[in-house]
Amino acid sequence: MTTISTQAPARRRSITATRPLLGWRTVDILTIAFLGAALGVAFWGWGIFYNGPITALKIGYAPAMGLFTGPWLLAGVIGGLVVRRPGAALFCEVVAALVSMIPGTEWGATVLVSGVLEGLGAEIAFALLGYRAFGLAAAALAGLLSQPLEWVFEVFRFPSSWADVPILSVFADGGGWAAEWLMRDKLAYLGFMAVSGIVLAGAVGWLVTRALARAGALGAFPPGQEERESRAV
Amino acid sequence: MTVTTTTRGRVEVSGLTWRPFGRREPVLRDIDLTLTPGERVLLVGPSGSGKSTLLRALTGLLGSAEAGELTGGVTLDGAAPGARPGAVGLVLQEPGAGVVAATVGRDVAFGLENVGAPPASMPPVVARSLAAVGLGDLDLETPTSALSGGQTQRLALAGTLALDPAVVLLDEPTAMLDPGCAAEVRAAVAAVAAQGGRTLVVVEHVLAPWVDLVERLVVLSGDGRVVADGPVGEVLHARREELLDMGIWVPGAPAPTPLEVDPALCRPEPAALAGDAPPLRAVPFAVERTTRLLDGSARTARAAELAEPLTAERGSLTTLVGPSGSGKSTLLAALAGFLDTAPQAAVTVQGPGGPDAPGRLRPAQLAAALAWVPQWASSTIVADRVLDEVCATSRALGRDDPATTERARGLLEALGLGPLAEADPRELSGGEQRRLAVAAALLHGPPALLADEPTVGQDRHTWAAVVGLVAAYRRGGGAVVAATHDASVVERADAVHRVEAPPRPARPPAGRTPLAARCGPLALLAAAVLGIPAGVLSPHWHTTLAVLASQAVLAGVALAAPGEGPAPRGRARTVGLRLVPGVLAALSVGWSTWWLAGHDVDAALTVALRVLAIVVPSAVLVPWLDPDRLGDHLAQRLRLPDRPVVATAAALQRVSSFGAVWSEIARARRVRGIGVSSAHPASVLAHVSALTMGLLVRTLRAAADLAVAMDARGFATAQRRTWWAPAPWRRADTALVVLATVPLVVAVVAR
Repeated sequence: MTTISTQAPARRRSITATRPLLGWRTVDILTIAFLGAALGVAFWGWGIFYNGPITALKIGYAPAMGLFTGPWLLAGVIGGLVVRRPGAALFCEVVAALVSMIPGTEWGATVLVSGVLEGLGAEIAFALLGYRAFGLAAAALAGLLSQPLEWVFEVFRFPSSWADVPILSVFADGGGWAAEWLMRDKLAYLGFMAVSGIVLAGAVGWLVTRALARAGALGAFPPGQEERESRAV
Repeated sequence: MTVTTTTRGRVEVSGLTWRPFGRREPVLRDIDLTLTPGERVLLVGPSGSGKSTLLRALTGLLGSAEAGELTGGVTLDGAAPGARPGAVGLVLQEPGAGVVAATVGRDVAFGLENVGAPPASMPPVVARSLAAVGLGDLDLETPTSALSGGQTQRLALAGTLALDPAVVLLDEPTAMLDPGCAAEVRAAVAAVAAQGGRTLVVVEHVLAPWVDLVERLVVLSGDGRVVADGPVGEVLHARREELLDMGIWVPGAPAPTPLEVDPALCRPEPAALAGDAPPLRAVPFAVERTTRLLDGSARTARAAELAEPLTAERGSLTTLVGPSGSGKSTLLAALAGFLDTAPQAAVTVQGPGGPDAPGRLRPAQLAAALAWVPQWASSTIVADRVLDEVCATSRALGRDDPATTERARGLLEALGLGPLAEADPRELSGGEQRRLAVAAALLHGPPALLADEPTVGQDRHTWAAVVGLVAAYRRGGGAVVAATHDASVVERADAVHRVEAPPRPARPPAGRTPLAARCGPLALLAAAVLGIPAGVLSPHWHTTLAVLASQAVLAGVALAAPGEGPAPRGRARTVGLRLVPGVLAALSVGWSTWWLAGHDVDAALTVALRVLAIVVPSAVLVPWLDPDRLGDHLAQRLRLPDRPVVATAAALQRVSSFGAVWSEIARARRVRGIGVSSAHPASVLAHVSALTMGLLVRTLRAAADLAVAMDARGFATAQRRTWWAPAPWRRADTALVVLATVPLVVAVVAR
């Protein structure tokens, strides 16, 4: 007879998604899309609270803004932690970006590009771990790796020396919107982003996922099962 | 296998047992059941007896949204129930839980899309399905969000009919509807049943309206076994007492006697009742709601009207009655001070300094003046333990002491929630959460209670408990205002306000639309994204200035609206509002670059203008992007995978409802006295995380429900989907993309 069950996991290991890993169930797809949309709405709600501190920092030391970038990566981290399938982190972050773009944010269509870059970063982290580990450390890594691609997108600058090279000359002196910062400040920005990614995206994402599991909202997913097993013991 | 009409719809359940992981006891135990083709069955049982679970098993979807252990099996005409997509149709309890699309036609066609039916074959099937449920008059482009609850349930039924199901399952399809809408839905079910050939299973706990429609009654016991099964009349007669004991609303039985509850458990604070003034009073008022339309204009319409003055005296019950969608919930929200009224300050409650409008009170003052139980009780949950949930407002008001905790336990006991005191309230059933919300609203002794459909979904026992508790509260001097369509509650009222939906204003004639709005979503996205390379490739602010100039000219073209009819209004405002943050970003990035890059004005100007060049195209174009059409285009034009695209489109379609959940949770916290103060960062953090968690929990529930509804319509196996609406690439799209490359060319040439 049919038995829907997952392999008995060794303790202290994460429960993985049902095999095949790429066999997305409808509830997986919908949950990622809905989580992304809800977080996109939440991004908006948070904006009300944190436009204040951000603006103050811009006037002070702008690279410190990096400390506040973590929440925007939560969709990728949470999506990956909940569904645990390849593509979940990327899909969730892109939906969140799309939802926050349509009502209009200050970054316009670049939000979509950022969503892809950040989601890709989180996805790389989960892929590096073979979609096997989903603990606090994995979440922190996902939060951390969500940042570098986005950082490059914001601070890259094409060298002036390209002006003499045919074709490449088109790019000379172009760059992202923090392109004119000194390298020192760009690196400081990366450092702040990394801290924020680890704490505000990684650790917070992990906590949110656990809280959702405890609220009984993840019954269909591995974190829900982990929660039930931890209670059964 | 070929099945002929005469043998279609034979369901065999053998030895079915289901235990979800994390539960010690199975929900269903050893169920054996055979349904013959065309049979009409009513399935009843006490709350938690596994009725909905059995329905899911019949669809073959058990375990698709929850993991567990399943033994035994279900077959439909000898095969697995899911073997033919849509062979088993399912209608869920909550209207709208299964809505997939933004318009009626597309929603009904969803199953047809999943099985890859040719688009040309869809309209006749859709029309037939809609006609079969009495919605034949509806325009196919009607937004699904504009339907009443009853229409939405009939739409769900039509959606299942499109796939010609052999079995139709209905999970309490009328539980959340007013009597008028419920009758519409039953009439549609009767019509579908009369067509014959389809096996019908209805889960309900109010039996009377259904007994004439079905021939067989199956009763599940609290521990998930079949305890009675036979012709409906016989079972009702032979098992009457047993059914009444289970709390089932047996036809002909008198309304249950309200439970005797000690008024001391929920007596209003004496201080709140001092003086002669009634706890709550309102002069006639209207609530207006403004909707922003895609063309940039805004329309303000009356959402609800209170026609007569309302005075909630001590100990009185005032009911608001009227069909679903007439604005009862909106009026209650306005009475609680959540919405602006016209005229302003139409509602008066007892504030700390005498009569005041509830909207002006601080959270703790509001909680002391009134309590509110919303229709969606899950959104008011503020604690992670049932007992803490009940005590939350008392604690916020500093009225927490051992005696209060004792009363809280007494309230839970009276409402049948005693054994759950230590449980997580978010894991309770809908009916349990509603009762909990009533207890949590009354413990701190507010002088007035505003309750939205407090008795919906309760069985006879829990109904008696809720009505008994409200009666006790009134005996203690509390005033109650309830929106309800429960006749037995209305009977007990001192005053009844009939609420009628304000006339909807006629849609203004379709005016001209801006040129940008005539382009498809992909072209708009592409053109907006082209702003990025245009900005990035600008090496110096001289170039960027030229780029911006070309963008300004193009923006003028995109926003022009040539043609006949009235000009669209608010274009400049729409775009301007979206430019404000961009301009601020340009200023701050420019300033920080000047500061960090050695006070170099050139560098600062360059980045500032670069930000503008990147953001301007988005501000001009993204407002005209129609999210409903985006899905069509992403799948058909970009060939992105169908299933994620459909899921994303469904999620986009519900974004506005997610926004509403966010504000509902914020209101619930306010009225429960849990305030936010910018002076206390911890309270802000707690507030933001509570809102986020509440939103996520609701969203995840919605996703799980929709997954079941979509799988029942063939989504799980939709490998080669077809699409109801085409996604043409028009000349306007090409023109837009070509024009959008102009700033890029300028950036390259003007270097």
